[in-house]
Amino acid sequence: MRLARILGSSGLTFYTLIFFAFIYVPIGLIVIYSFNADPVNMMRWSGFTFDWYKQIFGLKNAASEAALYIESTDQLLAAVRTSLIVAASTTMVATVLGTAAALAVYRFSFFGKRFYRVLLFVPMLMPDIVLGIALLIFFVGVGISLGIGTIIIGQCTFLISYVFIVVSARLAGMDRTLENASADLGADEWTTFRKIILPQVMPGVVGGAMLAFIISMDDLVITYFVSGTSTQTLPIFIFGMLRRGIKPEVNAIAVMMLLFSFTIAAAGLYLHRRKR
Amino acid sequence: MGESIVRLEKVRKTFPLPEGGTVTALGNINLDVARNEFLTLLGPSGCGKTTLLHSISGFVQLNSGCVYVDGEDVTDRPPHRRPVNTVFQNYALFPHMTVGNNVGYALDIAGARRAERNTQVGAALDMVGLGGLEKRLPRQLSGGQQQRVALARAIIARPKLLLLDEPLSALDRNLRQSMQIELKTLQAELGISFIFVTHDQEEALTMSNRVAVLEGGKIQQIDAPLAIYNKPSNEFVASFIGASNLFRGTIENGTVTTDDGDKIRTSASTGTGPITALLRPEQFSIANGGEIAAETGRLDVSIRQIVFSGAGYEIHGRTDNHHDVVASIAATHQALVAGAEASRKATLTYDPAAVHLIATEGARS
Ligand SMILES: Nc1ncnc2c1ncn2[C@@H]1O[C@H](COP(=O)(O)OP(=O)(O)OP(=O)(O)O)[C@@H](O)[C@H]1O
Ligand SMILES: [Mg+2]
Repeated sequence: MRLARILGSSGLTFYTLIFFAFIYVPIGLIVIYSFNADPVNMMRWSGFTFDWYKQIFGLKNAASEAALYIESTDQLLAAVRTSLIVAASTTMVATVLGTAAALAVYRFSFFGKRFYRVLLFVPMLMPDIVLGIALLIFFVGVGISLGIGTIIIGQCTFLISYVFIVVSARLAGMDRTLENASADLGADEWTTFRKIILPQVMPGVVGGAMLAFIISMDDLVITYFVSGTSTQTLPIFIFGMLRRGIKPEVNAIAVMMLLFSFTIAAAGLYLHRRKR
Repeated sequence: MGESIVRLEKVRKTFPLPEGGTVTALGNINLDVARNEFLTLLGPSGCGKTTLLHSISGFVQLNSGCVYVDGEDVTDRPPHRRPVNTVFQNYALFPHMTVGNNVGYALDIAGARRAERNTQVGAALDMVGLGGLEKRLPRQLSGGQQQRVALARAIIARPKLLLLDEPLSALDRNLRQSMQIELKTLQAELGISFIFVTHDQEEALTMSNRVAVLEGGKIQQIDAPLAIYNKPSNEFVASFIGASNLFRGTIENGTVTTDDGDKIRTSASTGTGPITALLRPEQFSIANGGEIAAETGRLDVSIRQIVFSGAGYEIHGRTDNHHDVVASIAATHQALVAGAEASRKATLTYDPAAVHLIATEGARS
């Protein structure tokens, strides 16, 4: 009996270890190899170096080394900048529209409300590739030239869904009698919205915005379809590099993206804790 | 003055049902509440108590009828412009605000000055025995404390009328009893009218100046607690409030002959026709075997069960004509009760003047 329990529990421990190892070992390896000095075979450790990071930022001229694929640092920085602009814009638009939609569905009853709710869920569930092709056909058909504008519009189509869902979940947990209580104590609707509803959904809005930002920074498929030939976001840039083989700088870029995401997630968690 | 603080005139409210049709939550309610009065709305679940409060605070749109508060027609005014405050059933404290900000909310909305506001918040919290807890969040309080915060928040702006929707239902028995007394004291101190909702009849009877018994969206009776208890105007009120023995039958020469064949004596001297006689359990005594005066009413029962309830005994008996009767007998008559238990028989006596007559349902219309 006792033995079985110990075996059972150690079996479970073993499974848990394997489970997390499967997720985190590859990521850990990327971090380790981003500091590996060996330029040709990443998997062979040949000393510690910051070279790949320096190269990304153009601090070390490595043009002589055949192993490098970043022809110019400017190209990488441009991709990062494009990604940031896209992410900031889509986050703003998706947060405002997604929150507004969630509030409308919460606050009002109107004809076809359920149907609207489903419509708002669908883009999130739709396969990226379908959405990507559909958007591409639409943009080309309507005659909008592809570029940063179409990337922003394209990403917003599904990011609004994410924000809508996160904010709606927050609203669903809210007690409606609080609005009555506020009105009862003399507050008009706008004041009630400002002082009672908004502060309570704020963690949801912030959470939705951060989710939108991270997903936007990360999106490849849809962005790839609607970006055209001259605009590159960071994921597209990295994807382009990979097609020519996995090279050390990719690790360094990956590590920095990881740090960036962690920072945003940590900030989100911190804000969330404080707000409660 | 004499003018009432609240007056409802022919207030009617129906809700549509999802499967079609409507449910009448309030059907032609007329109600006057006097200044300084403690009125309790009592009734079973779904009888329209909350809807009646909402019609005064403005959270429901009436189908028809008028609501006057303090002489002014407020029928078409939104809730935030009515001089009425509410203690909600689930307290409805703002979870993201401290106790101080919850209590001070009405003053903040009204744009009160900071210092003034803070002293008033302190005073209101002192009044409900929570002085010094301004900085806490609602979830850091016990249920009873939250209830007090809700109360302090509702009275801080000195409304002319306070509506309380089952404010004590979530509290345990002891806390509830002490809060009942505190509410009563507070009402006297503040000098404002209370409309208090409960479905606990004991609470209603102990706290109120008047009790309104609601059923099916109609006020069945509105009266002083004693009158509600002793002189219910219909069978619903009689059976809803307290334990009751109802004898349906016809009256002739002051005696009610029930449909079962029992005879109940009354002090009525005139009248004939269908009627229902009411006897409360405590209006029965148990005969001691001696002579029973000719004018005393008597009912011979066989004993089904005797329950000791602390203050006395509850005798559950049945007449020869198979009508169930409940009598409560004081503990001092222990010997007689024991005798009844042994013989499985008892003679119950009552004063015919104590018998209350109610028009029989159905016969009225
Ligand atoms: N928003 C609503 N939509 C539909 N029907 C409603 C609504 N509010 C109340 N009702 C109905 O109106 C009737 C009265 O409801 P109300 O809430 O006033 O009852 P109550 O006496 O307060 O009951 P309880 O003691 O359970 O709180 C009920 O039949 C209820 O189902
Ligand atoms: Mg209710």
